[in-house]
Amino acid sequence: MKFLKNFLVVFSLLTLPFSAFAVDENFPNDKVAIWGDFSGITLDVKLIGGAPYDPLYEVMIPIWEAKTGGKVSILSKKSHFELDKEIKQDIAAGNISYCVVSNHTSFATQYGDIYRDLNGIVPKDFLAEFVPLVLDHSTVDGRLVQLPQHSDVSNLWYIKSIYEDEDNKKRFKAEYGYDLAPPETLEQWKEQAIFWSDPPNFYGTQYVGKEEAITGRFYELVIAEGGALFDEGMRPVFNDEAGQRALQWFVDLYNAQAVPAGVLNYLWDETGLGFASGTVALNLDWGGWGAYFNSADSKIGGDVGLVRFPMGSGGKRGGWSGSHTYSILNGCPEENLEAAASLIWILTNHEAQMHEARGGKLPTMTRVWKDIASEMDAEGNAFMSDLFSTFSASMAEDAFTPPLIPEWIPFSNIIFPELQAAIVGDKSVKEALDAAAKETDYLMQDAGYY
Amino acid sequence: MSRKFFSGPFILILPSILAIGFVIIIPLIFSFYTSFTSYKLTRPDSLFNFVGLRNYERLIDNTKFWYAFGRTILFLAVVLNLELLFGLGIALLINKITWGQRTLRTIMMFPMMFSPILVGFQWKYIFNDNIGLLNNFLYLFGYESAIPWLIDKYLAMGSIMVAEIWANTSIFAILLLAGLLGIPRDPIEAARVDGCNSWQVFKNITLPFLMPFIFIALTIRSLDVGRAYDIVHIMTGGGPAMRTELIWTMIARIGYKDANMGFANAMSYVSIILSIAFTYYFFTKLVAARRDLGQQ
Repeated sequence: MKFLKNFLVVFSLLTLPFSAFAVDENFPNDKVAIWGDFSGITLDVKLIGGAPYDPLYEVMIPIWEAKTGGKVSILSKKSHFELDKEIKQDIAAGNISYCVVSNHTSFATQYGDIYRDLNGIVPKDFLAEFVPLVLDHSTVDGRLVQLPQHSDVSNLWYIKSIYEDEDNKKRFKAEYGYDLAPPETLEQWKEQAIFWSDPPNFYGTQYVGKEEAITGRFYELVIAEGGALFDEGMRPVFNDEAGQRALQWFVDLYNAQAVPAGVLNYLWDETGLGFASGTVALNLDWGGWGAYFNSADSKIGGDVGLVRFPMGSGGKRGGWSGSHTYSILNGCPEENLEAAASLIWILTNHEAQMHEARGGKLPTMTRVWKDIASEMDAEGNAFMSDLFSTFSASMAEDAFTPPLIPEWIPFSNIIFPELQAAIVGDKSVKEALDAAAKETDYLMQDAGYY
Repeated sequence: MSRKFFSGPFILILPSILAIGFVIIIPLIFSFYTSFTSYKLTRPDSLFNFVGLRNYERLIDNTKFWYAFGRTILFLAVVLNLELLFGLGIALLINKITWGQRTLRTIMMFPMMFSPILVGFQWKYIFNDNIGLLNNFLYLFGYESAIPWLIDKYLAMGSIMVAEIWANTSIFAILLLAGLLGIPRDPIEAARVDGCNSWQVFKNITLPFLMPFIFIALTIRSLDVGRAYDIVHIMTGGGPAMRTELIWTMIARIGYKDANMGFANAMSYVSIILSIAFTYYFFTKLVAARRDLGQQ
């Protein structure tokens, strides 16, 4: 029965939260519009695909085609990890003559100089609408190679009712000696996750457990614990005490069965859908799930709380952050550049960002942050107002990108199996981090950092 | 000499030679060359950065690669043997049927019709620790713990083997069934007249006749299984902690995700040794089996 319920939740969730939307095709709230007559121009594009991304394309691209006379030919639409591999193969094959491609601030540095500098292609007054720090993160070697669509940073979602239950409060106080409230520190998070766990029916928390996802999570815990991945000379230092404390946190939760047994195979969909299925008490995730978590389609709709990323022993919060972006390739013919800029505009403009923000995605335009907060306040939507104030504070005070270096993904591929090895007990925390540090040292030497 | 070289037969096979050259030989030479360079997909200019044997020297010291190599041999050995066993059993059973054999043969081939990606997703959800069919089936019988099928040191590899065997046993079955249908009836009937029981008939007549088919099937499948990638990639991605890492998931990650194609190609060429060894072994056995049957 539990299976059937979970199964139905998972499959219904895959489509429900991200549906098409209506826009005013005159884009009245956009101060800058980039229209033109692009009849006869077909833009070849490669995009990140999936339920959270497709509705925007399905609405905006037909409008763009109708208004400009141009055509969009989607050559490829897949997850960013798959798109990343495809772009690398395209570079090797010299097949980079398409125009627009989805990008990410964490990935962009790998691809060398295949992108055009958007300064000069996208009007300055449109660029001025974006949060300056986000544009900084979109800049590689002094060139603005991508225009951000939305940003991500994570905060801690929790099921409210279990925290309000008097019996739970009494039991928790008796066991841990302090009042039950959503965690403020990593230590409290761990203790509460263990307290809530009743495997296999209910888990205290969960984490994304593989690939760059767990690397990023480890990275932000290292920072929260007062450490760093690299020193100033880019030598790996994540195997110091702060790094060990960060990794031990993952290990302790796994050993206490406070996270699902299969967590090391989880990525974003699994954790998001798992929390929405009501079987996890605390879930670290981005804002993009927010509206859905609290909707009637989720089993915890109306029962969702949110707090800032708990603090580590280093007095800092986690804040691993990045932005989903669009780039224009050097191979895009000159005569198509204006059309390409126009297409990027319609996918990142005020209207597009407001729509995305209504679902909980974090805008990259300064004005959208204010407008979405006003809209939610006017609607009396306390949940979404709280979401934006919490995430706004995180973006302003906690957010940091991974090192914006081409070696980020190869580094991630070195460290994540070692993190997993420690979590499942194949290696001690120290052994795993030392092994990863040694291999990373070779990587950085080969890359010429020292 | 030149007249012979440009003779009619040579001209007739020239298109084939050119096609093979373009499709097989040139890519092979190119990839072999890149294994001596520091070629990175994202830096096309590195194609000309010749590093000699450096990639191969690093490979020798790379324990992760050799673990993946050993794991691939284990995977090959277990999967091939079980597929042979199940395939032979299915072929023998279907061969006994006189009514509905065609329908059963078609049904038997269903798993082969699924793409490996789909098979991977299907089994990934069956073995999922939380919403998976298997764990929830076990809960019905009062089992109270979520078994981490795709995480556990032994179960993870076993789960992938189950998926691989499910998807491909029918290849063995269909090849062996073809062999069974081709066996002459006379020796079997003569043996039965001489008083042999079913086991003796199988052991002394059916199996020797089947051996060439078995070795052909083993050769084909050893090449297939040795290149296992899709199912493993979908089910576990080679993890966790490289517990299910096989040669090709490792090579794909280094080649495409890290974009380190020079090193990945060096790994590929070392890995080919495995395929050559299995193919050579099975062909030797095939020749011996045919010799035993009095065939060339």
